[in-house]
Amino acid sequence: MDIVYIVVNIVIFLAFAPLFEGIVRKLTAKVQSRQGPPIIQPYYDIIKLLGKENFIVDNWAFTLAPLMSFAAIISVICFVPLGYKANFLTQYADVITIIYLLTLGGVSILLGALSSKNTFAMMGASREMVTMIMVEPVLAMTFFVGAVKVKSLGIDSTIFSVMNTGYSWAVVLMMALYLMALQAFVGKQPFDIAEAEQEILEGPFIEYSGPNYALFKYSMMLKQMFYASLFVMVFVPFLYTGVYALDIVIQLCEIALVYVLIALVGATNPRLRIDQAVKYYAVLIVLALSAVGLSVYGI
Amino acid sequence: MNSLDKVLKALQDKFGAGITGHASPLPTRLFINIKAEMVREISNEVVTLGGRYLVGIGHDNIARDGNIGMIHTFGFDKDNFIVHLNAAVPGSNPVMPSITPDIPGAGWSEREYQDLLGMKFEGHPKPKRLVVADDWPADIFPMRKEVPYNMVPPAAEDVAYQLDECPEGCSIIPVGPFHTALHEPEHFAVYVDGETIKGCDYRGFMTHRGIEKLCESQVSYNEVPFIAERICGICGSVHATAYSQAVEMAGGIPVPKRAEYIRSLLLEIERLHSHLLWLGVAGHLIGFDTVFMQSWRVRENIMWLSERITGNRKTYGMVIVGGVRRDITPVIGEDILKVCAKVEEEVKIIHKSITGDTALHKRTKGVGYLSKEEAIKWSLVGPVARARGIDIDVRRDHPYAAYSELQFNVPVVDTCDVWGTLVVRLLEIYESISLIRQIIAKMPKGEILTELSEEIPSLKHGISVVEAPRGESVHFVITGEENRPDRWRVRAPTYPNLQAIPAMLLNDQFADFPIIVGSIDPCFSCTDRVEVVSVTSGKKRIMSKSEIEFISRGNR
Repeated sequence: MDIVYIVVNIVIFLAFAPLFEGIVRKLTAKVQSRQGPPIIQPYYDIIKLLGKENFIVDNWAFTLAPLMSFAAIISVICFVPLGYKANFLTQYADVITIIYLLTLGGVSILLGALSSKNTFAMMGASREMVTMIMVEPVLAMTFFVGAVKVKSLGIDSTIFSVMNTGYSWAVVLMMALYLMALQAFVGKQPFDIAEAEQEILEGPFIEYSGPNYALFKYSMMLKQMFYASLFVMVFVPFLYTGVYALDIVIQLCEIALVYVLIALVGATNPRLRIDQAVKYYAVLIVLALSAVGLSVYGI
Repeated sequence: MNSLDKVLKALQDKFGAGITGHASPLPTRLFINIKAEMVREISNEVVTLGGRYLVGIGHDNIARDGNIGMIHTFGFDKDNFIVHLNAAVPGSNPVMPSITPDIPGAGWSEREYQDLLGMKFEGHPKPKRLVVADDWPADIFPMRKEVPYNMVPPAAEDVAYQLDECPEGCSIIPVGPFHTALHEPEHFAVYVDGETIKGCDYRGFMTHRGIEKLCESQVSYNEVPFIAERICGICGSVHATAYSQAVEMAGGIPVPKRAEYIRSLLLEIERLHSHLLWLGVAGHLIGFDTVFMQSWRVRENIMWLSERITGNRKTYGMVIVGGVRRDITPVIGEDILKVCAKVEEEVKIIHKSITGDTALHKRTKGVGYLSKEEAIKWSLVGPVARARGIDIDVRRDHPYAAYSELQFNVPVVDTCDVWGTLVVRLLEIYESISLIRQIIAKMPKGEILTELSEEIPSLKHGISVVEAPRGESVHFVITGEENRPDRWRVRAPTYPNLQAIPAMLLNDQFADFPIIVGSIDPCFSCTDRVEVVSVTSGKKRIMSKSEIEFISRGNR
């Protein structure tokens, strides 16, 4: 029975990630006094890309990268206790696994960019790498604040630490930090630095087209949904009803709200430069470390 | 003794025999004939006396006296006059000293006539090709009179522009010929160390349209304004006005007062349009699309208004030699005021949100820094200069059209960066709105056009400067026979500003490249105005005019 939950996870993520992207695009358009594309436009985009010609650089890494990126994020999704239900796989992994798998997604973007040997892709890759190194700790600390509280690195116990033990100052601080890092997690303005269309023309993805690009795009959408759902599961667990299907619906609604926030922040900020962003991330890391410190002392 | 005479006297005292003649047909214009070998010393002296380099004009006079002429022009902004240094060298051996080592802003003017007239400038620091295509034969100089306007030499293979040497340890990032941040074809090779820009080479002039040559050989005086308008999609009226004024000055043609007011009105509407457009593009370049969309929404009102006044959203087709083609009716006058009120209100909201946005400050303050001294050295113009504390505006300094009768401020800030250009442009929007209101209130009744009845005498010189939204445009006309100019030289404001781009980029981050280049509001095609249409490569098929028309009407 637990295996069914994994299938539900994957189906829901695959089905809803483009929808949420569509909501972001529609909202951004409204902020900009535009009509905007239909909410289901991202589905069309993916279908269209899947049917397009696949231009590849003659290099195995170039073809492997999008597959690896997609596989990595799907694996992450398998472990997610969506609807507050730990599934069959959850017991075999811990939060470190999730961090590793997310990093693997980033590494595959680097791999694809570097194997394409495009100047703009190289530049994008170096920016992506910096972002990865600086933002990953904030994610790790999010887990560790919970892990310290419940003295376990298990996925369900860490993620449900707030639900089970309540808020503390450390959690409140971490929650604020998570929100501050959210745009960087999901790669939206002001932190869409690695892609930066006007500077480096979508950076790492410049040489990708067709199905390969569709895979990258889909992985990015899934990643965004993962980060939004993680926020909901870790920090706002108080609408727990106990009915599995109802919990999933409530969580999806909450995730939609997080996306509204992403869209609004994205539409009202210019893109930062990488040097400015690094300074910002550094502050986040220091604060995240102190949140973990507070958690250790049970504050 | 006024200051124009003082300059003349100072030059005569210092160089004596170097000055071979002078004329001053108007109190605001001084033409000096000088010996070509002394051009560098005399130019330096003119700059010391307060002159600001405008442009160099090369012209082919071989049929008349066997010489090729080069006229360097300098504006004296505080005293409202323009000095022309006219040097001539024999067509058989057209060599003269370069003034670029001391006046870097002259670099392109000299390179241009090296390409177009086969002149040689001794001591030029970068005597590379500028204007003609890389496969253009080295012994054909297209602006010489004997070269027909429609000449198409055979294309050559395996020729390419040689970029400047890349500094050690840097890699080259190509921006262009096509790049999303730049809306026209041009090629910057940016030398970066990591993300820091260490240098840059520019190869532009990729959309040669041969406008000057065409107008000197094919069309008549009053057809040129419509072609001039098509030099730029944004400041079309500026070019039409500047050309018309230059011809009017050379030919002594009076312009009715009402026409002058209507010209000023069009120029200010164009400025409003251009600044709102720029603001949107600037927002887009730093990844702030909300600013982009909102300011273009406001701009749409101006587009509507332009259509109401002229029948066209852009490229108004209003200005011709002697006046304008359509009158402003009282009903349209009311519409203009209504749109102004609406635009002013909306711009105030945008202004407030921009000045309060700290993230936007982060991306623009201190970016593209160029000191005031450097800016003067490079002869920067327009908002780019005014953001660096240089108080120039030809509407005030060399008044034309109705500007001498209107009140306005010239916003100047001294932040020397991209933020400064943004502030200057925003403040100029309010000034333009106030100017439009004054024009509607003060516009006298009367004629709007002086018909050209008599022939315009030949070989008269006329120069006119008009403040375009991006800086001043300079048009120089030598009148000719057959009812058309013998020489027409256009200098768009991007021409001097673009030359200073490498200096602005130095040691900035590559991420700031788009907004720094964007901050001069570049108009590459305006700069690319010269020369015979070139064929891109031997293999490509050339489309006929009827084919292009067929496609442009939505067919495939």
